[in-house]
This record gives sequence, structure tokens and C-alpha cells, in this order.
Amino acid sequence: MSAARPRPDVARMLTLVPWLLERPGARVDEIAEVFATDPATIRAELEHLDYCGLPGLGGGALFDVTVIDDVVTVRMADELRYPLRPSPQEALRLLLIGVAAERVAGADVPALRSALGKLHDALGVTPGAVTVLDAEPDDAVRTLRAAIAEGVRVRFTYRGRTDTTPSGRRVEPWAVELHEGAWYLHGHDVDAGEARIFRIDRAADLEPTAERATSVAPDRLDRPAYAPTDDDLAATLTLTPGAHWLLDALTADDVAPHDDEGTVRVRLRTAAPEWVARLVLMTGGGATVVQPPELRERVRSLAQEALDRLGEASPQPTRPQGGRS
Amino acid sequence: MGMPAVERLVNLTVALLETRRPVTFDELRRRTGYYPQPDAASARRMFERDKDTLRAMGIPVETRQDFGMDDPGYLIDRARYELRDVDLDAEEVAALALAVDMLGPDVGALPLAKVAARAPDPAPLAAPPARVGLPVTDVDVFAPAIVDRRTVRFTYRTADGRTGERTVDPYGVVRRRRAWYLVGRDHDRDGARGFRADRMLGEVRTIGPEGAFDVPSGLDLGSVVSGPDVVPVDVTLRVRSEGTWEVTARGGTDVGDTGDGGRRMHLRDVDPIRDRAWLLGVAPDATVEEPAELQATLRTALTRVVEAHTDDAHTDVGEGRS
Repeated sequence: MSAARPRPDVARMLTLVPWLLERPGARVDEIAEVFATDPATIRAELEHLDYCGLPGLGGGALFDVTVIDDVVTVRMADELRYPLRPSPQEALRLLLIGVAAERVAGADVPALRSALGKLHDALGVTPGAVTVLDAEPDDAVRTLRAAIAEGVRVRFTYRGRTDTTPSGRRVEPWAVELHEGAWYLHGHDVDAGEARIFRIDRAADLEPTAERATSVAPDRLDRPAYAPTDDDLAATLTLTPGAHWLLDALTADDVAPHDDEGTVRVRLRTAAPEWVARLVLMTGGGATVVQPPELRERVRSLAQEALDRLGEASPQPTRPQGGRS
Repeated sequence: MGMPAVERLVNLTVALLETRRPVTFDELRRRTGYYPQPDAASARRMFERDKDTLRAMGIPVETRQDFGMDDPGYLIDRARYELRDVDLDAEEVAALALAVDMLGPDVGALPLAKVAARAPDPAPLAAPPARVGLPVTDVDVFAPAIVDRRTVRFTYRTADGRTGERTVDPYGVVRRRRAWYLVGRDHDRDGARGFRADRMLGEVRTIGPEGAFDVPSGLDLGSVVSGPDVVPVDVTLRVRSEGTWEVTARGGTDVGDTGDGGRRMHLRDVDPIRDRAWLLGVAPDATVEEPAELQATLRTALTRVVEAHTDDAHTDVGEGRS
């Protein structure tokens, strides 16, 4: 029994025919890679296609599909000489993929621009109709991409979520990733001696070194997601609509409506309470800690401390807290 | 018995592509033998399901009842079905393959195979690996209206909570600050507007015919959703030693000491709205000295945080609105 059951797909079969008519002698594994599926599925679809063609009682005119030693040839299928036009959904998805990639890697891959021009024409979509303003790589991301291309180590100072002080890191960079709106670096931490994921906006003084990177990136990179454990501090927050962005920064266990105005109640666990306190502070009152009391007090004291310092730095006298009527 | 459904669907597609005139269900049934149920009604239901399946894949199965036909007939217009040559070259195919690899082979591989089916195989391309998370399937719901240029209608809740109907000619979509926007001409205001997808309530209905409007050439959709221009300001901060790293990481420069063990630092081009959250997060360690308006904004926000986290008058702390 094979691990994955082949799942033949009609839209893919209708695309396989013209694709293979242009590429006599293509191999099953390379076809599977291009179509982002497994060889067993491709084999099953080819087997079905050998029974397809122009129907008619008594057999009709069937396609001729041969697979010998994983080498594929399709003949007698001129009815499907051209591929099925991408659906509107597929068209927008592909354009969004191209437009976002151009934003990240357009400088390295100039052919993306001309490819996108042709795609907009062919798919009947006005240039500019899909626009991606996110995914803008900053200087640090560009530096990292250059270092990856050259195969050299980088160094930077870094403060992780649970770190109290920043420390110097030496890293062999493997890949950059934009995840939930933030850029991450995957790489081998030379001093820790293992693979690590760094949030790039928490790195400072990043620069390439002359040292060669020797580690080999794994085939599959982990997601930069945080997995809560039972040792973590449990907390409950409420978020007004303006503070919902916090949900993207946190890993919530549960989100439930709190009132009719769009406020939600969030339960979460964290290994970095100080970091959560800072996030709450960042919302400027949109997020409120309900539980536990010590985290509530920590947020209050951080905000009060900031207010006091603001009073000292300000030419005008500070109003006492709670001065709103 | 019976042929596998995928073979029947492929063959039905070929048959409807090859026919010059619309074929009725009875003809199809007789010629193909695909719908062998003795009961005509259940055979018919099976055919209707097949037709829906094909249409859902984007196959333009048309229904026509020409003069002199007793029953409606079906065919696929080859010109609408086929993607004719896109003329991508080997470098362009490689560039798109890289894009699909970066953003999502699951979603992008089949559409790319379609547009590159008749193109040369990709040229070798070396680019440093990157992975970009962008939920491109979120905008599927808008795709037919944008591609076919059909007017849509939906219920929309504005940022301040008012709900109303909107009628929009959808020009396209914008991804900005992790939200999707539909941008188009708002019929009631007769101007280009952006609508956040997560503030649309219920269904987005398509109304009116295809090709109902033209997208104005040269329109920058991004500028429609970018909101009012905010003038960036230069900020002077009084920073405790604990906070200097944060400000440095943000691009700040040290301009001298403050006499009490801290540093005075400059940050250029701070957006008072977008960067407000960051300034609040570092506020216990890095205090804004200039400009005064920014100080006032932060003071208001910090006061709200203190109030929301002070347990005197309120037991229900979830209220948090002024």
C-alpha cells in the first residue's frame, strides 16, 4: 500500500495533456514536481487519461498515453492542444504570488517583471489590479539575502522575546521568511551549535562577515510559530477592535466575543510575560489585561513609569493619573 | 461497471469542445452511454452534477437553445476555454516558478503549469531562498467580479461602526498592513474607495453584466487605501541604558548623554500614527522629548493604559472605552 492515496483531479488532467504534448519523454517525478503533487497521483491520472478521448459508443477516439520506465508520451490528443484558461480565482492567486515575489526578490530576478506583464495581458487583468504593499524587504533582509547568495556568515546583536539583554550572535543564514507580517531568518547559530529562527526586526548592527558558511540547510524549515507549553503563564486579555492586531502577534488559545462593539476576550499562554506586557502597552489602552493580577500590575506600573518620565522630559507639568473627566 | 468519474468528466469536456452545434442531453446520453440509469430523471441529475463540477473548475459550459431545438443544448466555446500562447520565455518561466516556490506551490503550481504549458522549460536560476506567507486564497471571493468586471454589492461596516450597503465596480485588491482591501468605484460617492475585506458582512453579491466598467488606466490602487498622508517627524528621545539597544535596532543615532546616565538619541522619519505602537512599547525606557504633539499623543495613550489597569472604580475591566 502506498502512503498517500492518489487523488486524480480533472483540472490537472486537462492541463497535463497539453503540457505533455509539448514535452514528449517527460519523467513522472519531474511532472509531479512541476504540478506540486506526488508521482503516484500523476501515474493514476495518466492511467485514466489513456482511457480518455472523444467519446463515442464502441470506444471512440482515445488518447494514446504510454508510460515506459517512468518516461511519459502522450499522442492523439489534439483536442486538448491548449490548456484550460486559469479560473478567475487561479488568475488572481498567480498574479498575487508574482507581484509579492517581485516586491521581495525583483532586484535579483528581473524576468519577473516582464513575466507579470505578459500574465496580466493573457489573463485579462489590468496591471496594478492586484497590489501588495506588504512584504517590503528592509535593509536587513536585503543584507541577509546577499549573505545567503554569497554563502557567508553574518553577525548581529539580538534580543529574543525571553531575553532581558541583547547578545551578539554569529549565524550561517539559510533563508528569510515573511510570516504573519514579520521577517524571520532561518539559520545555523554558530555559538549555540544548532538551527535557530530569528525575528529580523529584533536584530541590530547586522552585517556580513568574510567567514564562509559551511552548514547545510535542512530540506524543510520549521515555521516560526510559538508553541505554548503548560509551564507558561496563562493570561486573559480583552481587545477592542483597534487592538485586534495583537492576535497576530500572540498565539491565542481561545478568542471569544466580549461585547457588541467588537471587543474580544482572549486566553493565551506565554513564556515571556514581559513581552506580553509591552505588547499591551503598545495598544495604548485598546488591550487590557484581565488576568493574572501580577501581569495587570506590571502593565500599570510600566505605563505609569513611562508617564512619569514623560512628565520629567516635558516642559509642561504632568497631570495626575486618571485626570480624565 | 461505469467508468471512473474523472474519465467521464474529461471526456464530456472533450465532447463539448469538439461539437460544432449545441448537443442536447438526450444526444449526449445516446452517443456516450455515460448516463445509463433507466430512470431519466436520475440520469439527468447526474449530468447536471457533472456540468456544475466542470463549471466550478472554470470550464465555460454554455447552455443554448437554438431556433428549431426542442431541448436546450450544451457546448464549450473553444475560444473561452483555451488559454492561447502566453509567450513566456525560459527566464520568465523560471522567475514565476521561483515566485510560486516562495509563496505556495500548493496554490500556484497548477495555474503556473497552465500559463507555462506551451512555454519553454525554465532556465536555471539561482536566487537566495525566501519564503513569503501571503494568504492569496482569501481574495477568491472577489476574483470573478474583478476578472469579469462585474459590479458587486455588499454590506459594510465602517471603522466607526456604522453599517450600510455599498455598490462597487471592483478594480482590484490591495494587501496592506496584513489586511485585504477591495478597491473600486463606489457608486454612491462616485469615487475610488478601498473596503477592508474583514469589514464586509455577509455575502458579496455580483450584480449586472460582465464588462460593466473599465478600470481607469494609471490608477494607483495602493494610494486609494493608504489613507491620508502622514508627515513623518524627527524625534528626540531620552533613553535609559536599558533602552538604547531597542532604539539603535530601530535605526536611532546617539547624539550625546543626558547627564543622568542615559543617552539622547535621534530617530528620523517617524510616522506619528504607524510608529505610535512602537514608541509606546519602548516608552518606559525611551522618552520622547520632541516634538511636543507626539508627547501629548503618548501621554493620552499611556493614561488610558494606567486607567484600564487600575482596580478602583471598575470591577469589569473589559469596558476600556472612553
